[in-house]
Amino acid sequence: MACLLKSTISKSDCRPFWVVVLLLGISAENTQAKTVLAVPQHVSLSANYPTQQLSISWFGGKAPIFEIIILRTEFNETVFYDTVSAVVNQDGGQHQWTWTSVEPLECTSLSVKICSREGNARSEWSEPQILEGRDIPSNSDAQMYPHSKVVSVGSNTTFCCIVAAGMELKKIYYGGTLMNVTRLSRRSYATTAVNQKASQPSGTNVFCLPHSRNVISGAVIFVGYPPRPSKLSCETQDLISAVCHWDEGPDTKLYGNRTTRYSINNRYCPQKSCGTPQWDGSWTLVAVNPLGQYTLTDSAELDHRVCPVEPVNLTAVVQIFNVTVHWKWKYDYSNHELVCQVELVSSNTTLRNFSGKGLHSVVLLDLHFDEEYRVKVRCGSQKHFWKWGSWSKAVTFKTKPYVPDSPDVWLWVNRDSGQIIWKPLTRWQSRGQIKGYQVTFWSPGENEPSVKFLSAGNNFLSVNLTRWASFSGDNKLNATVTVKAVGGVSQPSNVPLRLTGEEPSALEKTVYTSSGFPLSWQHNSNSTCSYLVEWCDAFCMHDCPVDWIRLDAGKTNVSIQSANFQPGVRYNFSLYSCPSDFPVLMRRWIGYMQELVPSSSVNLETTQQDCDVVLTWDEIPLANRRGFLQGYNVYISNGSQLILLANLNIGTGTYTVKGLSGSTHKFTVKAYTSAGEDTGGTAAISMKECGDGLILEILASLGMVTLLLVTAAYFCYKKRGWVKKAFYPDIPEPKLPGDWSRTRGPLDLKPAPHSMVNIIEKPERDLIKDALIAIAEEEEIDAGDGIGDEPVDTDEPQSLRYYNQVVDERPIRPRFPDSSVSSSSSVDSANTDVTYTGIQTSCSSLVFPSDSQSPSEVFQPHHGLPVSSGDRGGGYQPQMHPVASASSEPLEEPQALSSGGYKPQSSWLLDSPREADEKMSPTHSLGSPTSVSSSQFLLPDGEEHKEERQASSSAAAWFTNLLSSAKP
Amino acid sequence: MAGMRTRGRRGADLGRNMASRAADIAALLRHECSLLVELYRNKENFPSDVAGVPLVSIPSPSSHLDPGDKLWHLHSALEQCCSLMERAIVREKEEFDGGEMGEYEKRRKMVKDRLSRLVIVTRDLLKATDGPSIVTTSLDASQLDGPTALFELKLWVYGIFMEVEHWSNTAIQIFQDLQPDATKVPSKRTRSSRIAPRMR
Repeated sequence: MACLLKSTISKSDCRPFWVVVLLLGISAENTQAKTVLAVPQHVSLSANYPTQQLSISWFGGKAPIFEIIILRTEFNETVFYDTVSAVVNQDGGQHQWTWTSVEPLECTSLSVKICSREGNARSEWSEPQILEGRDIPSNSDAQMYPHSKVVSVGSNTTFCCIVAAGMELKKIYYGGTLMNVTRLSRRSYATTAVNQKASQPSGTNVFCLPHSRNVISGAVIFVGYPPRPSKLSCETQDLISAVCHWDEGPDTKLYGNRTTRYSINNRYCPQKSCGTPQWDGSWTLVAVNPLGQYTLTDSAELDHRVCPVEPVNLTAVVQIFNVTVHWKWKYDYSNHELVCQVELVSSNTTLRNFSGKGLHSVVLLDLHFDEEYRVKVRCGSQKHFWKWGSWSKAVTFKTKPYVPDSPDVWLWVNRDSGQIIWKPLTRWQSRGQIKGYQVTFWSPGENEPSVKFLSAGNNFLSVNLTRWASFSGDNKLNATVTVKAVGGVSQPSNVPLRLTGEEPSALEKTVYTSSGFPLSWQHNSNSTCSYLVEWCDAFCMHDCPVDWIRLDAGKTNVSIQSANFQPGVRYNFSLYSCPSDFPVLMRRWIGYMQELVPSSSVNLETTQQDCDVVLTWDEIPLANRRGFLQGYNVYISNGSQLILLANLNIGTGTYTVKGLSGSTHKFTVKAYTSAGEDTGGTAAISMKECGDGLILEILASLGMVTLLLVTAAYFCYKKRGWVKKAFYPDIPEPKLPGDWSRTRGPLDLKPAPHSMVNIIEKPERDLIKDALIAIAEEEEIDAGDGIGDEPVDTDEPQSLRYYNQVVDERPIRPRFPDSSVSSSSSVDSANTDVTYTGIQTSCSSLVFPSDSQSPSEVFQPHHGLPVSSGDRGGGYQPQMHPVASASSEPLEEPQALSSGGYKPQSSWLLDSPREADEKMSPTHSLGSPTSVSSSQFLLPDGEEHKEERQASSSAAAWFTNLLSSAKP
Repeated sequence: MAGMRTRGRRGADLGRNMASRAADIAALLRHECSLLVELYRNKENFPSDVAGVPLVSIPSPSSHLDPGDKLWHLHSALEQCCSLMERAIVREKEEFDGGEMGEYEKRRKMVKDRLSRLVIVTRDLLKATDGPSIVTTSLDASQLDGPTALFELKLWVYGIFMEVEHWSNTAIQIFQDLQPDATKVPSKRTRSSRIAPRMR
């Protein structure tokens, strides 16, 4: 300070001042250090075990602060050491300080020492004061602390387990959780549960298990929440006392002795509603549990909190049109304005409000006849409405019956029968129990109407329309229905009908939609009539459940919906105009609510036609179709699966399966609707062997050819004269000058060089056709002079001709191919002009192949007749003469081999084949010795014409025979 | 004589029927009590090998006792079990009742009802074999109150359940042994001679 005051003084001048200050400071320090602080005396400990608080008190002079050290006595471990400012009791000067232990104070013994402190001065430590734990030797039992503690959710709690004397700790469990353990003393162990969760109603068990014994020691801890009630409200029912209600709020998770306790205005409330005998005007709710308390308040005037009790003893006085409901009150509300609510329940529920002072009855108007009602009442304060009171118990009553409504009547016509049918009256319409119905029907021609009485359960009357119509000239009929009920008789309902005999118009399909069957029609602008749509099961014949709907005039469409519609049932819909005045049928529809697959299948039949199978079936009856048939699917069964053959339209009843081979075939025909196919009609067929069409055609062709041939043969036979004339004219007798017949001598016959007979070798026998092979005369082309075409009646040398003719039934052997030799060896007849006709061929004229037949089988010529043999075979060699023959090797060989050559002069006896035939000798076959003319063509045996030639040869032979037989 | 024989035969049949019925009830009780013990052990997280504290003062009947004495021992023990059970339920409700009837509470009630039924049947059987006067030994109030510490209270309840299970098991054996001898009239003895403290 001095320095500051004399701040302007130089530094050298201040130096003595600082020295003085330093010395003074040192002196003061020494004085303070030498002050002796009092040691705290009479240290006492007071333990609050539930709160784990240790209260330390002492007497300790005037020191402002103290140092306190707390040790675990047994292990001398410091638990707490700090400087504290103790509270001083002004009266006695006692210091007091409270320490809260983390561990229960029972866990182990604690030693407390205190010293006074003032600045840096500190007194000596007080004598240690010991708080004995429960682990002292004198208490040898096993224990666990704390007992039955209640803590908040989320808090931490330290437990200690004191094992029995001489035991070692094995484990500590918190609930089912094994805990980490800290040793506090020789017998005491601690563990801490952190962030604890809410416990179960019986709490969470903490227990320790010692080694070698199954006796456990433990404690229970309850973890929960403090109370949080809400919504306190107090009201009065008797206009005197108060009843308070509140909401308990969240579950505190504390039960039993630890559950929340409530009090209202210091009055204990055992339940969550509590009352006071007087209207206090204000109320305080206190909710308390071990974890805390919560307070709620409420205040109100009595008139604002009136909640009437429930009305009792309800009674109903029933009238025809109304009812009076009376009730009583438990308390006196006669001077209190009340509003009451009446709930009226019949087919529907209605609420009606009434008000009045001390209300205790109401009149309910506009009720239905013969209707059962249930009524209950509750009330509230009309002024300063607070809330409705409780509902009374319900009371039931029934109104009285009344005259029923007129029924909705219709006359359903089904061909000659009909039904007067009416819709059953609802409970509302009948207005009481129905006793029965009176049905009256008449026609203008009848004098007396027919009257029928039906009981209550009926809703139709069947009538014979034919009989009815017979009385009526104009086919007009009338029917009337009245209902007799408990409350009276209804007005009559009239239904007129005109029997027109008209057939219903064409049926149209209507497709069901979600809104029903849509029907639409054209409206006749001239008509002011209403409409009626009637529908029923199309296949119902008697006592049908007919339904109908009436439509206003001008309507042109409607959707018919009914709970009675069923899938697969065909419904007919008929639209009538003027239903109240002789209705006229306008249109008709059919439809299915839902199409199903047909309930029955087609009756399938199979028949075989050649290699085809014809399937036939009948239509499925309408009643079984259950939908609009769309067609048929034809299947063939292939083992386990069906193969679709055809899809046919509806109306088809047959189908041909072509080109099937043998074995058994199984066919299935399934009709289908929009819902799918039915199960199908199945039929199997075992196929018989069917002929090949080609074979049949060939046979037919052969038959045709045969027929043609027969026809030609017959024609030729009939016209054989003409044929003969045309193709085989008579050969004139030779005209010889002189007398040749009597002279005997050798005839020098020289065939004309151009007259040749070609013998065509037939190398093999035609085994198929055992007929004479015609050997035609070779064309003169080979000769080159065309003489053969000349008329036979000429002076020119003629070729030698002969006819092959069958005279022997034995097979004719084919000739040797070397016919040219024979042909070339034919003797030329230069001088004579003789043509031999009808030379009967015989065995001698045929040459048999030596290689095909054994010699014994070879037809042996008759004695001396020249027959060619050997390898060359040898064909027919007429008039073969060694001299006249042209020299050639083939010709010489048979000459050498045969025993004799051809000798026509000596052997020719017969002039015709018949004669030869009669003789049955081949040796007489040769004719004229001079010349031979054959009408048979001798064809070359070309390979390419072999078969053709055989056939033609056979035919020619037959033809020749035919012609021969026609000879005169 | 014939009439006496008929009555004797009827009595034998009746006794056998009663013993059989009692054995059936005891079997049911044992089954239900074993379920209850298991349920309680799981609920309280007790180790499976924790030992129960003996609570019934009646010793288990020795095999040397005649069937009548065994039946008397059994009846006394079952009555004590029943009393302990009732008290345990009251204590549990006081301390832990959550207001809801859970599975444990239902099974506990079932066991208690079955035990009461078994006591009645045993008493009837005892009357049928040993006359109308039955003297039983009951527990004193301190034994019935149980401990105040909640963990000890739970062990006490657990011990009661195990006692019921033990005595239901004993009952089955006694009733089965009793069936062939149901008609035997036990010799008249003084009850005091039978009472002995239970030593386990």
